[in-house]
Amino acid sequence: MSSRDEILARLKQNAIKPEPRPEADFQPLTFTNPVEQFQKILQVAGANSVLLEKGEDVNEIIRKTYPEAKTIASNLPGINCATVNPDLLEDPRELNGTDVAVIRGEFGVLENGMVWIKQQTRHKALFFISEALVILLNRDNLVNNMHEAYARPGFDDYGYGCFIAGPSKTADIEQALVIGAHGARSVTVILE
Amino acid sequence: MSSHAKAAKKFIADRERTAWHDQALYFVREKRDRMAHGVPEWEALRKTASRMKKHTISNLAYYLEMFERNATANGAHVHWAKDAEEHNRIVYDIIQRHGGKHLIKSKSMLSEECGLTPYLEERGVEAVESDLGERIMQFMGTPPSHIVLPAIHVKREEVGKVFEKELHTEPGNSDPTYLTHAARKALRQNFLNADIAMTGVNFAVASSGAFVVCTNEGNADMGTSFPKVHIAIMGMEKVVPDYDALALYVRLLARSATGQPSTTYTSHYKKPVEGQEMHIVIVDNGRSDILGNPDHVNMLKCLRCGSCINTCPVYRRTGGYSYSYFIPGPIGINLGMLRSPEKYSGNVSACTLCHSCSNVCPAKIDLAEQIYKWRQQLDPLHLASSEKKFIVKGLKLVMEHPAMFYSAIKAGRLAEKMPRFVLYNSLDAWGIGRELPDFAPETFNEMWKKGEVK
Amino acid sequence: MKVGLFIPCYINAVYPQVGVASYKLLTSLGVDVDYPLNQTCCGQPMANGGFEKDATRLAEQMEDLFKRYDYVVGPSASCVVFVKEHYPTLLRKEEHACLSNRIYEICEFLHDVLKVNKLDAYFPHKVSVHNSCHGLRLLHLGSPSELVEPRRSTLKDLLSLVEGIEVFEPKRVDECCGFGGLFSIEEAATSVCMGQDKVRDHISTGAEYITGADSSCLMHMEGIIRREKLPIRTKHIVEILASQKV
Repeated sequence: MSSRDEILARLKQNAIKPEPRPEADFQPLTFTNPVEQFQKILQVAGANSVLLEKGEDVNEIIRKTYPEAKTIASNLPGINCATVNPDLLEDPRELNGTDVAVIRGEFGVLENGMVWIKQQTRHKALFFISEALVILLNRDNLVNNMHEAYARPGFDDYGYGCFIAGPSKTADIEQALVIGAHGARSVTVILE
Repeated sequence: MSSHAKAAKKFIADRERTAWHDQALYFVREKRDRMAHGVPEWEALRKTASRMKKHTISNLAYYLEMFERNATANGAHVHWAKDAEEHNRIVYDIIQRHGGKHLIKSKSMLSEECGLTPYLEERGVEAVESDLGERIMQFMGTPPSHIVLPAIHVKREEVGKVFEKELHTEPGNSDPTYLTHAARKALRQNFLNADIAMTGVNFAVASSGAFVVCTNEGNADMGTSFPKVHIAIMGMEKVVPDYDALALYVRLLARSATGQPSTTYTSHYKKPVEGQEMHIVIVDNGRSDILGNPDHVNMLKCLRCGSCINTCPVYRRTGGYSYSYFIPGPIGINLGMLRSPEKYSGNVSACTLCHSCSNVCPAKIDLAEQIYKWRQQLDPLHLASSEKKFIVKGLKLVMEHPAMFYSAIKAGRLAEKMPRFVLYNSLDAWGIGRELPDFAPETFNEMWKKGEVK
Repeated sequence: MKVGLFIPCYINAVYPQVGVASYKLLTSLGVDVDYPLNQTCCGQPMANGGFEKDATRLAEQMEDLFKRYDYVVGPSASCVVFVKEHYPTLLRKEEHACLSNRIYEICEFLHDVLKVNKLDAYFPHKVSVHNSCHGLRLLHLGSPSELVEPRRSTLKDLLSLVEGIEVFEPKRVDECCGFGGLFSIEEAATSVCMGQDKVRDHISTGAEYITGADSSCLMHMEGIIRREKLPIRTKHIVEILASQKV
């Protein structure tokens, strides 16, 4: 018998009385002013946020936010401040040293500041290896909580996806919060 | 004295460090409280999460098979390991097949449970921990003292010293930001050079075949971004039915663990990217036995958030290493006993039955109640302390005979001493930092008899 | 309404004044109080230490002593909740004299059964409330800090009826004091450390007294206070509720 079958047999042998699936009997958190809440919670997560006003150029905002940036990687149309198209790189290791990555978020979650990022570039390394991450997000795409997030139609349509809430951080040395553990040291969400 | 009591005594001898450790962990507990109080439906959320876990473990084979089917359809390779040995062998085989030499690991308690790193190192595979806390512990050559905060017992100066040696940081610089960024720089090379990536699994979504890994540092994602092989290892209890169930746990995990609304990265791995192989190892290693143990089956609900550890007033004052099992605190006391009562019964004394652990647990595991049950098992298993047994048997004899009880008090009052069954070994223990209470001139019983209670 | 007074062993031997105050308080509220003689111990120390079966005889004795009362009331949250929750298992029956709807910790009885809203009590002192673990987390005498539920406190409600009193709570409002029955002996170093921390937290409120519904916690903390000659005293809450102007 394979280990698999042995394990499954043991599970069936030791099985407990089936419990019915519970119904959630609570009203999850909701927010009355989504954009304001999202900006507030992004701040808690250590991220910046910018409301893109009509007529404003996103490239200008990126440049203004990261004036020192030399390499800006993006495959998004309209991001003409990009210096590199990451999809043209064979090896993701070549992304090491990227100053800013500009990517698109699918939706944001108001209760925790997460933005759902689906793999949209050839190498997902881009989301993590860049010193700074700029996420473009449609401000109408905000959900209240994780229940709504996972219930969005078509959510399961991804190969790799990540909820990102602010910059990489750690508190592993004496619980002192340090921004920039391995991933982006700075995250800016531009709400279009 | 139990193994925990002995080790605890040593730890507490350094009162300053004990106070520092206690405060650091209490700070995390307070952050957790603030987060919980920010979610009005918190208790209902816990209740649903607990019942959803019960539903899942009562259909464990069904959901695991569903997960396997969907993960396989997504292009992942699914393996099953009966025990730690088989788990290690499967992982090593995959590495060998790819000629891997450098494994980059994100934090996994399962790999700790299975002793994977030493197993691989004996076979010439370097396993680098990429979580900062785990990396610190790896440099120090000691195991993590906490399941979520591996280096919580280490002071910044000690980190500075070990980084000075390992990463050639500036002598005497123990600034957390400086040290963290030094580790970032050094580990970046490990990420780029690794040929095999390993992660744990926080949740495996049966309906989708995806699995979820939560980190704050981004080390799991960075680690899986370069190598051609990703091995994810999971205990069987990590499976959740679907995304609706997952929502409950994602909401609870970070709030309970570190007092954040969410972890920074909640990564969903579903299909291997082009040119990459994805392996998932599902590990039993005693979990199917827990399923068959009605008193302790709830342990399979555990999310490994560590909140029971942070709230435990005994853990906070005695540190992770005072427990003989690799997981400390209430969760560790229970899991250790499930692993081997003979080896780990020395931790069962490390509990005042304050029940705070049962209240913070996001899956509502009856942690304290289970410790109480384990204590009842010690005597039948011949693992009870003989001193404690002597005290209890003495107490029982006297308390069952009111005449003896009241004459013992009288005798004690005259001799200004407790009766022998209390004295035996225990007076010393009580007297370590406390005065013994004085007997009253008259018991309530005597006063009542004499009509003095008015 | 006939109440049987449940006096735990260490109150009988060490703190009989707590029993006297309980009697006075209940009779002053018009309750018919009796004390069934020759009580010893409820069996909690044995059970929490891992010898639950050694408490069976004691449970039978309690059952025998209290079967003729409408209510069983005791001034110790920990003992009361042990009897309430574990006797059904020990006695192997759900129906017993100390059944959950008949046994009460005294504050709980005053607050929830008698619904006392006026007391003729006077205690012109600063007190710090000791929210004991079993009182809070098992008997629900208040809301534990880690649960998300409306804040309430039976002890503080009752103390608010006392004239002249100032009520405080420690910073870590319901941190365990480290007594834990046989834990206090088996893990003495940790127990003492927790007790010292707890007493200091109470002292930092500026209170003159630590008060609570569990004499066992108070006994442990008193041991530390006396050893270190610390500037605070312990007093069971019923003694305060029964205090009057001289």
